[in-house]
Amino acid sequence: MRALARWVAATAAVVSLAASAACGGDSPANEKVVEFWYYQPIPEQSKQVKELVKRFEETEPTITVRLTEIPKDDYNTKLSSALGGGRGPDAGYLDQPLMARYANAGQLAEVPAGTITESDFYDGALRTNKISGKLCGIPLQQTTVALFYNKKLVSTPPATWNELVAESARVHWENPNLAGVNVPKGEGFGAWLFPAFVASAGGTMLDEGSRRIAFADPPAQEALALWRKLLESSPRRITNSENSFHKGLTAMMFSGPWEVLTIRQQFPQLDFGVAPLPRKDVAASNIGGDNGVVFSKARNPDAAWKWLRFLSDATHNAEFSNITGNFPTNRKAAQAAKINTDPALKVFVDQLETAQARPTVPEWIQINDEYLAKAIEEGVDGGRSPADALTDAAARARKLLGWQ
Amino acid sequence: MNGVHRSSSWHRRRRDALAGFAFTAPAMLHTLVFMLVPAGAALYFSFTEWDMISPAHWVGLRNYQEILFDSDLYPDFWKSVRVTALYALLSVPASLVTGFVQAYLIDLLRRGQSLYRLVFYLPVITAEAAVAAIWKWLYDPQFGLINAGLEVLGGTGPDWLGTPGVVIPALALIAAWQSGTAMLIFLAGLKGIPRTYYEAAEVDGANRWQQLGRITLPLLRPTTFYLVVTGVIAALQVFGIVYVLFGGNAGPERSGLSYVLHLYLFGYRNGAMGAASAMSVLLFVTVLLVTAAQFRLVPQQYEE
Repeated sequence: MRALARWVAATAAVVSLAASAACGGDSPANEKVVEFWYYQPIPEQSKQVKELVKRFEETEPTITVRLTEIPKDDYNTKLSSALGGGRGPDAGYLDQPLMARYANAGQLAEVPAGTITESDFYDGALRTNKISGKLCGIPLQQTTVALFYNKKLVSTPPATWNELVAESARVHWENPNLAGVNVPKGEGFGAWLFPAFVASAGGTMLDEGSRRIAFADPPAQEALALWRKLLESSPRRITNSENSFHKGLTAMMFSGPWEVLTIRQQFPQLDFGVAPLPRKDVAASNIGGDNGVVFSKARNPDAAWKWLRFLSDATHNAEFSNITGNFPTNRKAAQAAKINTDPALKVFVDQLETAQARPTVPEWIQINDEYLAKAIEEGVDGGRSPADALTDAAARARKLLGWQ
Repeated sequence: MNGVHRSSSWHRRRRDALAGFAFTAPAMLHTLVFMLVPAGAALYFSFTEWDMISPAHWVGLRNYQEILFDSDLYPDFWKSVRVTALYALLSVPASLVTGFVQAYLIDLLRRGQSLYRLVFYLPVITAEAAVAAIWKWLYDPQFGLINAGLEVLGGTGPDWLGTPGVVIPALALIAAWQSGTAMLIFLAGLKGIPRTYYEAAEVDGANRWQQLGRITLPLLRPTTFYLVVTGVIAALQVFGIVYVLFGGNAGPERSGLSYVLHLYLFGYRNGAMGAASAMSVLLFVTVLLVTAAQFRLVPQQYEE
């Protein structure tokens, strides 16, 4: 038994030695290290982000930024485990819908007054950082969704819901082997896009002030009915084929700017255009993206804020979003970024003006993925009436939130 | 005299015990640190509400009660149970059959056994992500090889991964293709059957089918039992292939929502680690019960 005890002690010593080496207490005392976690970019982007870090360190000689790249799908898992174990980074990305959960858990530091000027930023992006009225992060990059159309099949992109339905039907009627639109499904992406259509019909998802679920109201029902209608001229058998739009089998799809780059690189023969999302009553879109946050247990919060301010200022935010393929959150940066000279990408920039931030209740991801997605699936593919499907989802969300 | 003898043997035994501990310590430590402690922690957290980033607070049996009985909060829990049960029901027999057929045919070969063993085992050691990518292509409704083959034969294939009712059979087919482990173990089992039995049977005039039904299959019962038990345990925990094929969306109408995928989504995406822990405890109990039932109901030995 004593041998076992000694063995345990020795192993523990080795493990702790390895751990302390990995975390590095080796930097000079006057140097401040900012441990920054972000999503794993492709190698080329990674190199450019490192260049950006170098330039930051030149302006702030006492600060060292240490980057850690983590695959996006694992990011939340790794981050919550690290913070739970008390070994989290100083600062990092945080996906917009996760802001509320981390803020309510007391893991986020409030942005010190004077760090940024709020009016410099797009409203939709900034609002994703406001949790119970407090600013808990700085928007770094954002994205939205627009209408992609195949110019060979669709000459003028539909601007309204009625035109969209008519155009989709025409394409499928002229050639039954083609689908009109890649209709979003009842899953994470579809549920993320859904609020844009709801807002276009004049509705909202939640009213947090009066603690009321609004996504079963008539505007949401109309939005769901639209998708269901589109399915009639857009068989899943065609749209379920991998990249069916890219290969010319589907005439239109809703997707984000990342698709512009993919199509140009991998499907150069496709002649496509990008247009704003078709509207019912008002123009509206959804928003996604990442905020920069400083964690409440950060060792060097001041240095971390300086780094985030650098990433979000008028010059560097443009560079940063050029690297990652997303859009600047800083209005002045958006004017300078190369997206403005690209007509396809310009559509997204314009559409960001009407972007609707997601509700900021911490349970939103669960409501989105488990309840709303299910309602969309039942209402679009499953043949349930939109009103019934959404009413059930609303009842579930109400129960989860305790908004009886 | 007696005392000296006893003390030296006591010393030897003590030394043996120490050596034994030293040798087993790494394995025991591994089991303790990476399995027992986390399992104990999961049991504890299953009684709490916990999102991993704020302190857990005790809620007693509420997680269990809500998971099992509240279909509003967990609308897809029972669906994930059904999906997993159906998957186990289809994939375990499918992979046993293909594994056995492969082993039986390989055993008939006079040369090149090791080559075929390697080839049929390759799907098992191929990375899950690569397997998923290959099958995504094979199953593609427009350009997939499988549907193209069916068209040549005059039929039309379904949209394999896009039609809710076909998703689980499609997954079982992948499992059948990945039956290399069953093949290896069946092959070892076949080698363990004495040749003399077959010689005697031949002398008695038994044909190949009779030999298969009267000698091979009955004598492989312990092997088959082992494969059924381990196969069911693995099938109840299927996660990798569905996660890579479908991600968090779990396929059309969530028809690929396996139990562990459902659990994973609650723990890591929805921030409900307490509920996810409760689901893992429920799974553990289920696996235990199912395995115990198999020990009672499935024949383990050949009886005259």
